[in-house]
Amino acid sequence: MHPDPGSARPSHNIAMWGAPGSGKTTLLASLSIALMRRRGPWKIIGADDPSAEFLEEKSLTLSRGEFPQATLDMESYRWVLVGEPKAPERRRGRLFGGPPKAAPAPRVGISLLDPPGGLYGDRGSVSATDQKELLDNLVQSRGIVFLFDPIREFDNGDAFDYLYRALVQLAKQILAGDDHGDGKLPHSLAVCITKFDDRRVLQTAERDGLLTVDPDDPHGFPRVEPEDAARLFHRLCEVSRSGNADLVVNALDQYFREDRIRFFVTSSIGFYLDPERNVFDARDFQNMVPNVTGNQQGLKAGASKFRIRGRVHPINVMEPMVWLGEQFYNSQPNNGTI
Amino acid sequence: MTVPREVPLPTALADATEKLDGTGRVVVVELGAGGITTYRLDRDDVGFLRCRGRNVPWPVLLGGRTSWDSGDAEGERAVLRAAGDLSGAVVFFVCPLPDGSPTDTAIAWLRKARPEARIYTADAVVVADLIRAAMANDPLRWPYDLVLLRAHPDGRLELTAEQLFPFGARRGKLVRRELRCEPSDAKGVAFAVVSWQDRDPVLVSIQAARVPAGRHELTAELRRPGLVRMSIRGVPELTEDERDWAELVSAVPLRLASPSGPMHLICAVETCGAPAKVEERLGRIRQMITTLSSELPDRLDVSLVAYGAHSYDARDPDPPIDVAAWTASPVRALESLRRLEDAGADARGYPDAARLEDMLAEVDRRLGSAATGRTALLTVGERPPHPPRVESEILPCPARHDWSQLLRRLENRPGMTLGAICDRPGERAGRAWSRLGGGAPAHLEAVDVRTLAARMGLRRPPDQLIPFPLTVD
Repeated sequence: MHPDPGSARPSHNIAMWGAPGSGKTTLLASLSIALMRRRGPWKIIGADDPSAEFLEEKSLTLSRGEFPQATLDMESYRWVLVGEPKAPERRRGRLFGGPPKAAPAPRVGISLLDPPGGLYGDRGSVSATDQKELLDNLVQSRGIVFLFDPIREFDNGDAFDYLYRALVQLAKQILAGDDHGDGKLPHSLAVCITKFDDRRVLQTAERDGLLTVDPDDPHGFPRVEPEDAARLFHRLCEVSRSGNADLVVNALDQYFREDRIRFFVTSSIGFYLDPERNVFDARDFQNMVPNVTGNQQGLKAGASKFRIRGRVHPINVMEPMVWLGEQFYNSQPNNGTI
Repeated sequence: MTVPREVPLPTALADATEKLDGTGRVVVVELGAGGITTYRLDRDDVGFLRCRGRNVPWPVLLGGRTSWDSGDAEGERAVLRAAGDLSGAVVFFVCPLPDGSPTDTAIAWLRKARPEARIYTADAVVVADLIRAAMANDPLRWPYDLVLLRAHPDGRLELTAEQLFPFGARRGKLVRRELRCEPSDAKGVAFAVVSWQDRDPVLVSIQAARVPAGRHELTAELRRPGLVRMSIRGVPELTEDERDWAELVSAVPLRLASPSGPMHLICAVETCGAPAKVEERLGRIRQMITTLSSELPDRLDVSLVAYGAHSYDARDPDPPIDVAAWTASPVRALESLRRLEDAGADARGYPDAARLEDMLAEVDRRLGSAATGRTALLTVGERPPHPPRVESEILPCPARHDWSQLLRRLENRPGMTLGAICDRPGERAGRAWSRLGGGAPAHLEAVDVRTLAARMGLRRPPDQLIPFPLTVD
């Protein structure tokens, strides 16, 4: 999958944003699998060799049941999300002008800067160069994928730290001028609530009555409807260890336009399916298996603490990208390439 | 009662004594060289033939004279006094010396007093020997029983008796009885023989010996009524026990810490985890089997069950639970244990729990629903079981086995005892291990196997001594 980069040079970047361990790398790896599983109109291709290799390597790693290693250095990838061409449409004035011309396939350029999680929060451990590159990337982006890891938030309660420092810097650069009269950042923000496959997240959604099942889903996976995802986000923030998670909600409201924020309840690996039954079993759905005990005895260097139990069934990994792409696409109606 | 003259004295005497009931008497008056000797035989409360003898020498009877006249009233009174009360008795007069000496006069007076009595004249007859023989050959009027303790399944001890010799048994009768001995004090195990008066036991004899704990065969020989000789192969001769009955009975504990009957010890061991820990767990099991096999000889069955971790990997499905031995002899179980020791630890699989619930399901399945007598499940390991459904970070058991429910079934089994040795100390062992340990699992690093076995009721505590032998059920 090596497209001609020149034909799909993206004009907008999507920046990934999230605390260490929030699953940025795994989400990227699962994106390709998700697109293939969905059999929808979209496919993703690498815009350059490193991006294509990244996609291939991480996807294969994940499909083998292993978690890709976390990002250690700033990595930049350029992919193109390619849809199906729109059917030709007749236009007034062309009745005698020959056959109708097919609209070009929509091509959503996505440039992902995948930084190690620490870059956003812990300034002391990051070089000034990387900080600047990241901030520049956020400034130049028009879409942000913000990964909110409710398990990490429950255990560490540091989501606000990671969010706020970057937001302040971003606002300082973008909102200092008069270009944005409403005082809001111009970005579209996809808030991904990760680890939906975790027992505690699923059970929180279940307790709050937020779970539904798509009757057309042969596996019967539970899901949270987009309109309920924000509610789950608020609910998960309430059980934060630090008690500052409500500030995350406030900060998002303060810096982004309401119509440019969307919440997604996601899982990169999805729920476990018994291969024989092949349907979701509420008694046994955890898809992540520890490789070692809590004290990490016997863990080989570089090995993940966890592996994947069964097949990967990504949940809502593609949707944030597609939504962001559509946001860009809709803002430039005359061109299939963003 | 008359005795036909033609019947020889030994036969007539045996016949008369055998027919003695609880109120009758047989009196043998011997007029011998040493004077008049009277033997009075009757039966005691338990039908035991007893004899009391009394001798009055001739010089005493004659009072300084050399003979009597037939009309010597004083001499007649002296002779009748020497013979004693003859009323209501079967009387034999034995005269070895019919030579005209005072014997003739004395026998005449006696015959006048008891004309129906038979007179036997015989040289070289030793009346005492005849009586001894008659007593020795006397058949038992009541059965003789051996006092034993019966241990109920819950360990409760009950005094009981098993017959050694039935009614009518005679001397020389030999019987063998299987019994079991527990450790006793320095005075040994008391082998008490009782007879019965109505329904009350009457002690016949108590003999004692230091008998090793375990199953033994007792040989008892009826030497004569009232005398039973007992022996146990490999045990020094039994001697008369000086303890009285009350002392012996009061020394019997209410319960036997090591109840009787066969014992089925199921050792379940977690074979996943650190190799050193697995080796130590297997070592504890070896200690337990070895200890109990010596303390419960011939009545210990051992099962050995090994379990590891779930794989949660479709490419490496879980094997069946390894039942290395089931109701095997201790020797056979130790051989199977060697195989587990050689295999060592299994490092694969889920790291935070083990297939404890699968092990419980397998044990429950093998025990079945029928009563199986005394059974002890000793579990040795560390990890918690998998839940039957999502309820913690630990993945559910793929087979959906419910460890709590399975454990409850085992806990409620009659005769079941639970014990556990956990790598972690009790306060950190977790809920499942607390239950597996019957409330408090022993700590692997500090466990004393003998103490644990005693706590589980598998062996006698050091201070429990049992003064009587036990029945073999």
